[in-house]
Amino acid sequence: MDHFEKPTDTLHTRRQFLRTSMLGAAAAWTLPLFLEKTFLAMDAEAADSATQTINGKDGPILVVLQMAGGNDGLNTLVPHGDDAYYRARRRIAIAAADTLKIDGYVGLHPALTGLKGLYDDGHLSIVQGVGYPNPNRSHFRSTEIWQTAADAENLKLTDGWLGRYFDACCQGADPTVGVSIGSARPQAFNSLVPTGVSLANPEQYRWVAEDEADEAFRALNRPSQDPLATGVNAGDSIGAIPGDAPGEMGALDFLERTALDAQLSSDRILQISRKFKSAVSYPKSQLANSLSLVGRMIAGGLATRVYYVNQGGYDTHSGQAPAHQRLMTELSEAVAAFCQDMKGQGNFERVTLLTFSEFGRRVAENGSDGTDHGAAAPLFLAGGGVQPGLFGKYPSLTELNNGDLIHNVDFRSVYFSLLQNWLKAPAEIVLGRRFPILPIV
Amino acid sequence: MLSPLAEADWTREKAAHLLNRAGFSGPPEEIDALHSLGAKNAVKQLLDGAAAKLEAPAPKGIEARDMLALRQSMRSLEEEARRERKKELQQQERQSARDLCEWWLLRMRGKTGDPVAEKLTLFWHGHFATSIVKVRQPFLMWQQNDTLRRNALGDFGTLTKAVARDPAMLVWLDTARSRAQKPNENFARELMELFTLGEGHYTEDDIRAAARTFTTYKIDPRTQTFRFERRQASPGPVSIFGRTGDFSGDDVVDLILEKPECAAFIARKLWVFYASGQPDEKLVQELASGFRESGYRIRPLLETIFNSAAFYSPAALSTQIKSPVQWVMTLARTLEVGLPPGRILLGALDALGQEPFRPPSVKGWDGGKAWINTATLLLRYNMAAFAVGNETTGGRPFQGGRGARRFQEQLARQLPLDKIAPPELRQVPEKLAARMADRLFQRPLKERETTAFARFAAARDVLDDQAVRDLLQLMMSTPQYQIT
Repeated sequence: MDHFEKPTDTLHTRRQFLRTSMLGAAAAWTLPLFLEKTFLAMDAEAADSATQTINGKDGPILVVLQMAGGNDGLNTLVPHGDDAYYRARRRIAIAAADTLKIDGYVGLHPALTGLKGLYDDGHLSIVQGVGYPNPNRSHFRSTEIWQTAADAENLKLTDGWLGRYFDACCQGADPTVGVSIGSARPQAFNSLVPTGVSLANPEQYRWVAEDEADEAFRALNRPSQDPLATGVNAGDSIGAIPGDAPGEMGALDFLERTALDAQLSSDRILQISRKFKSAVSYPKSQLANSLSLVGRMIAGGLATRVYYVNQGGYDTHSGQAPAHQRLMTELSEAVAAFCQDMKGQGNFERVTLLTFSEFGRRVAENGSDGTDHGAAAPLFLAGGGVQPGLFGKYPSLTELNNGDLIHNVDFRSVYFSLLQNWLKAPAEIVLGRRFPILPIV
Repeated sequence: MLSPLAEADWTREKAAHLLNRAGFSGPPEEIDALHSLGAKNAVKQLLDGAAAKLEAPAPKGIEARDMLALRQSMRSLEEEARRERKKELQQQERQSARDLCEWWLLRMRGKTGDPVAEKLTLFWHGHFATSIVKVRQPFLMWQQNDTLRRNALGDFGTLTKAVARDPAMLVWLDTARSRAQKPNENFARELMELFTLGEGHYTEDDIRAAARTFTTYKIDPRTQTFRFERRQASPGPVSIFGRTGDFSGDDVVDLILEKPECAAFIARKLWVFYASGQPDEKLVQELASGFRESGYRIRPLLETIFNSAAFYSPAALSTQIKSPVQWVMTLARTLEVGLPPGRILLGALDALGQEPFRPPSVKGWDGGKAWINTATLLLRYNMAAFAVGNETTGGRPFQGGRGARRFQEQLARQLPLDKIAPPELRQVPEKLAARMADRLFQRPLKERETTAFARFAAARDVLDDQAVRDLLQLMMSTPQYQIT
């Protein structure tokens, strides 16, 4: 791994650039000087207290796993000790005997054997009844609420909760401080200054051309305009064009920043993915592929704090049982393999994996052997650093809000606890206010 | 705010902007022709052209199936044979889904259809976003496309009522399985949230009430068309927006259209799609009141947008990030080449984030900056290399076996290189670079770009065809090229 501890000849990171240019040694092909000024102006205050040094050797890593579509929490963490569950779900309830018992009241879906193993080993924490006030049942809006950590009524907030962490703590870090797997970028990564990279496949994550073209290419694919010269103040929009909302970066500036991040990260990611192979065998699913790639990047020492992976298909309005069985199997097998991988690498203690879904389903099944959009649901945290056990209270199945479970834990408590106690970030700055800490990490 | 652009202010650059935004751009001659018409006539010609070619015959192999008969014939088979037959049908479905998509993309390219008409149809597809992933049957997706294109320039009320009855939509948002005793709220919710009003202009009770008016909307399995099923009618009056009555589904749409928020919602969305990302609220209100007064007629609204000075203002010019479809079509149309074959094209559009008939959700495509991340940007750059016949990265979507390679060579041969880079200019690198940049960007560029392109050209010993390909690839591998 020695090979990766020093930068390659042609690839300088933004952080290094900052360091060298402060010494007045900016090479012609690195960033223009104004960008450094922008970073400093923007984060003058934050820089002292919050900016984190991020390398690939130590330091905590968060892996966020989105279960898109609204996972049925009641059939994931089954309240097998509650008759109300069986009364509400005459056709799709999971028999008590089939659940993987956690205690006399709840048990895991029978396909979650991998997660049960982690639980028994003390590496899984389960937070029950997670949601937020005034739950929204639209996939899009509720996903947005989870991704931005906004109040349900606040339609203005579009920055992601992880993006705000990047803004507050990771300016000047490598673009790979946040890595999302897949060719779509999660809203959770949205930040004032574009930070973090997305990639679907390392082999395709590069630009192919002859040397001379490569030089011209590199020169054109980086920021061109000095935002300070146009009279934009720190905290205002950067290089905004007329018509952009305040605080929003113009389309061209955004593209140029993204181009630079692509340039800086592609060589390194390709190198790592070619050199490091998974030591454990992952099952065959898209989620497992994504986690396997994350595992290789961690093994390769990429300077990343947050990885983001996605599993879709949870919108089970009809014929839920077989579909949900498959999803639970995929989830459990992929997460178990990833944890195994981390243990083998000796990185298990550095990694926490968090699952979330935009909402649970209604308590009562519908007329099509499925379930409709609901509210509160459980979530999981896995890793060597989590406090194992059950947290929060299982919501009552009889005192409902409009047919839905009432949350006992605000999801932002989970975020707050992870930011504060796992990523060691100023959670109150990132989330805008305090939330009760959960002893999950 | 909405004053029309003065004819005196009409320039070639503005004509190029109109052609880019109303359609999918075009080669220099097309811009010249549009420019020579004058502003108002240019807009009229584009919309007349669209109106004339909106309607389209069904693509080959797309036809209704008697699902009842099909199910019966399946039942009569032995289990083994049934499985075989099922597999065969699924394969057929996958193939015709690809054919359907390619049919549409070819129409957008402009040989079989009109780019302005197809772009507007694409707008409505993104608006009433429905995905074949759930609908499954290509025939239903085509039928919806047909409904959208027939009403694309008509009035929004008729369009919305037609979409409410559209079989693909009935499957997509579960109206087909909604029952009088247990109305499914999915369609009613999205009708208000995403199709007409936007969040915050209705209540949960409005949704529940509206859901009861659509329970009769079903699909006739024999013809795969809409059928009104009276026995699923939900009895009794409903209350929507504080008004109570025996409302039908059509009545609900009419009640929605009475709300000014609906006109503003659609006007804003069209402005964002065609003009710029952050419209002024005053401008939206002006557009909306005209839209509402016209009885929600779409063509006059588009005319107002395309004729307005604001459409050609700095807030709108060169501020839009090309959608993947826009990117692909613009490339093909400005370089005057055909589209890559179905499998490669669809694979690329999928990876770039916009495969027609497969929007990611009922919300459609987010668009704007959401098109771009490090992954999609590098993929665009590699697509550019592919299109000019240069080396690309491995794997999907570029290496679909020998066929892909053969096609790439074909595509590269197709490039009219002598037209793109006239022989007389090949002795003067600076001029050649400027000519090529004008074809690709159609607007003045910053010095950094101009200089870099000229230098790159000057550094070549001879400006042969390969040099021209390399320069094209470089020009398209820039942040500037992603913008229109």
